Amino acid sequence: MKLAPASIPYRAFQKATSLGITLVFIASIGAGIRIGSPTFLLLIVGILLAALTYEIAYYKRFGYELTDDTFDIRSGVFSRREREIPYGRIQNVDISRNVLQRLVGLSAVNIETAGGGSTEAAIQYVTAFEGKRLQQDIRRYKRDESKTPADTDADADRSVDEEVLFEIAPSELALSGILSFDPRVPGLILAVATGSIPFVSPIVPVDAPVMILLALFAVLLVGGMVLAWIVGAISAVVNYWGFRLTRSDDELRYERGLLQRYSGTIPFDKIQAMTIKDNPLKRRAGYATLAVETAGYAPGQASSRGSEAAVPIASRRRVETLANEIAPFEQPTFKRPPKRIRRRYLARYLIALGAITAVLYGLAVWVDAAAGVPWYLPVIAVLATPIAAHYKWLHRGYSVGENHLVTRNGFWSRETKLVAYYRIQTVIDTRTIFQRRWSVATVIADTAGSLSLLGTDAAAIDIDQRDADRLREELTERLRVALVERRRQRTGGFEWFDEDDEQAAEEHTVDEQTANTQATETQPDDTQTDNEQTTNTQTDDEQSSEEHVVDEGHEPNDSDHTAPDRDGDSTN
Amino acid sequence: MNKLHPRIRIVWVLRAIIIGVVVGAIGVGLSTALEASPLVPVGMAAIIILLGVVHAVLRYRNWRYVVGEDAIYLERGVLTEIRTEVPLVRIQHVDSRRSAFERLVGLASTVVYTAGSRGADVMIPGLTPSDADGLRKRLKRLVIDSDGEDAV
Repeated sequence: MKLAPASIPYRAFQKATSLGITLVFIASIGAGIRIGSPTFLLLIVGILLAALTYEIAYYKRFGYELTDDTFDIRSGVFSRREREIPYGRIQNVDISRNVLQRLVGLSAVNIETAGGGSTEAAIQYVTAFEGKRLQQDIRRYKRDESKTPADTDADADRSVDEEVLFEIAPSELALSGILSFDPRVPGLILAVATGSIPFVSPIVPVDAPVMILLALFAVLLVGGMVLAWIVGAISAVVNYWGFRLTRSDDELRYERGLLQRYSGTIPFDKIQAMTIKDNPLKRRAGYATLAVETAGYAPGQASSRGSEAAVPIASRRRVETLANEIAPFEQPTFKRPPKRIRRRYLARYLIALGAITAVLYGLAVWVDAAAGVPWYLPVIAVLATPIAAHYKWLHRGYSVGENHLVTRNGFWSRETKLVAYYRIQTVIDTRTIFQRRWSVATVIADTAGSLSLLGTDAAAIDIDQRDADRLREELTERLRVALVERRRQRTGGFEWFDEDDEQAAEEHTVDEQTANTQATETQPDDTQTDNEQTTNTQTDDEQSSEEHVVDEGHEPNDSDHTAPDRDGDSTN
Repeated sequence: MNKLHPRIRIVWVLRAIIIGVVVGAIGVGLSTALEASPLVPVGMAAIIILLGVVHAVLRYRNWRYVVGEDAIYLERGVLTEIRTEVPLVRIQHVDSRRSAFERLVGLASTVVYTAGSRGADVMIPGLTPSDADGLRKRLKRLVIDSDGEDAV
């Protein structure tokens, strides 16, 4: 199939304008080309013609096709490329349309697969109708592939109706605007400001008193903040205008955007993790943010808006219902790090404050211009450090649920991450030299999520080392069990149902249970010896806020049957 | 629990020496250009090499790994201790690799990739080439046995 014919002039126009702008820029710098001259106009026409020819060739060469089991794309004018993407590997299909494209009725379709930091296939551009059809067809083929023919007939009617999960209310849109603050803007302003100091300095009298300089600085800072806030508000409103999340049998579908309209699908079985975010402002007002991570490259990530299926803001209850709807989970009860860790946080905050004060003091003493700087001001914040340390501890925790690991972190902006056990890739347990002093550890459940690239994995930070050992074992164990369970479900539906496999799986689970009971029986002795060995015997150290322990029945197993493997089985 | 091959320490020490020498050379170059005493950069290089040696010894002492029935388990790290469990079902592919230094002392590394965001983190250095090959083949077999659909 071909692109929309209207894409030829559109793409040519797009190319020509960007080239033209470069030319005008060069001319304005003064490369000797006069903008009005006939040669210049000729050049512009030439560029336009060249772009048009290229685009016609591109249009002729570009073809895509939905075969029975792959999506094929042929493209390239000078170097040709043929690509086949199996439906099973497609993570999401996104459509985006900016204002101009909507005017001429074009859509850009992006197909994402796992792995690789870029879009697997970009189809620029097809008609809006064709875009929608592609999205739906790929979905249909995907489903056909994962089910037996008998199932698909039954599904054919159902695929049409979609259930609306979430629709942004105008008040929520306004709120998301008000509450969003783009920290990049003050940074940008600062960068520009420092660059323009040579220009500004003549305006400011050289011998101006320090207080005036400070006041100027404060005004700049406040102005920057306000500007950042306005920019953030506008971009949030523009981005999430008309946000809508719907679900069909096996997919989430979103639509959003005012100037550029995005729509896309996320198959449920590609969802890696969910994140619920809030901060004190949102908490107070009872609101939260939800983000859904897939293993594909999150579209629009380059413009750092993160995952597209994010619900910008909604009441906490709505967010929780929605998350539950996407992946049912029970209300987590968090197990917190040991209380002693609060002292560590306190020390950390105090050290940071001390450093800031020292730098300011140094400035005040050695730099003449800053002589009057009230370097002692940060010291006032010392009063707030115990509170901050307490909240940092209070918000930290993890919960080992039925199907999900839930972790929560962050003193100001609190993040709750939900990771299904069968999504865990590796389990990492790290202990820095400082953590070892407090005998705590961090356990990270690594997933293939795309947001994880920014270093926000589901992590149980600063938990007791013994808990960390148990958690690590338990996570790998639960992953294994969950995978066996899933495999059974998957093969269960098929005709070529493998009996041996099934039995093996069953035996395994039985093994499991016996191992578990054994483990729980031996547990008390283990703990005791451990306790005796611990040198760190402050009373409040030992109680790692056990009031929040969940799931007594699943008391983490120092499982008997993995331990022998470790000692016995070697590569030799 | 398996330990690495003792000779891996030579590789690590060599690496530290090279870093030390490079830093020292740059420092000496700078100090002669600025007509300052070359003692400081030489001292720095010595400290880097010394720390490198200590680090290599401790690193070797802390490194342990096991290839179990369902998972690879690694324990390593000097300042930050890291323990990683890599379920075999999650392995995407396995490399064996030999750097110039490793070839010098006749060792090899095995690198295990997963789809996780920290995928390439899992590297087992200090294996004899035959062990590395064996490990790679063994992992390959185990990975093929487990269902490929579960990788992501």
